[in-house]
Amino acid sequence: MRPRNGRGCLRTRLLPVITQLSGHTLLVFVGIPALVVAVLALLVFASSIAKGPRYRPGLSWWAPPVWIGGPTATKPDPASLPELPAGTTTATATGVARTTGGASASW
Amino acid sequence: MPAGDAFTPEQLYDIERAVRHAETASGLHFSVYVGGADSETRPFALELLNELDDPDNSVLVYVDPAGRRLEIVTGANARRQLTDTSAGLAALAMQTSFAAGDLTGGLVTGIQQLGDHAHQAPLVHAKEPHQQ
Repeated sequence: MRPRNGRGCLRTRLLPVITQLSGHTLLVFVGIPALVVAVLALLVFASSIAKGPRYRPGLSWWAPPVWIGGPTATKPDPASLPELPAGTTTATATGVARTTGGASASW
Repeated sequence: MPAGDAFTPEQLYDIERAVRHAETASGLHFSVYVGGADSETRPFALELLNELDDPDNSVLVYVDPAGRRLEIVTGANARRQLTDTSAGLAALAMQTSFAAGDLTGGLVTGIQQLGDHAHQAPLVHAKEPHQQ
């Protein structure tokens, strides 16, 4: 007589099969597919892992500031500089840019 | 962006190489700052320019990844070589790459453009007397 419940039917049919599964069968039908999936996932994510974290616009930025071609040495404090003779131009002595140009953008 | 360095050593090398090429082509000093601003971006970029050794002959590229702002600041003498229009074109190129998440590519492209625009052709026969 067949059981009415479908789940009970399935359990009844699978139970003798599961108990008879050997280690070799599990290796072939579970181990090898799992290994293939792992290798494919590694291949897909390998490049991003090697490149490191990527900038995504709109998300917060945690990296410390980077300054390429920054000042080579700390400038002397203008207040502590010796007084210049009268008539000397101070524009270049203080190292402050006079008129600047450029452009701005946002994304 | 998780904690860590903003650029890998290879990316830093690419940016530094672009900076060196731009400096060689133009004779100007190029500086790149990537980080957050303490205040408004433009005054902060001006402060950074003034901290450089020779601000009048320098070009500063300031990128605020968190605020998604870009500033190109040129010193007084640098402005004669690199007009605001040229800086605007380079900013546009950088903006496109930054919006796609490519900080390094945008910086390299933009700095190359700035160097090309600021390039001064050598004066040939400038010291020779004019002959009819």
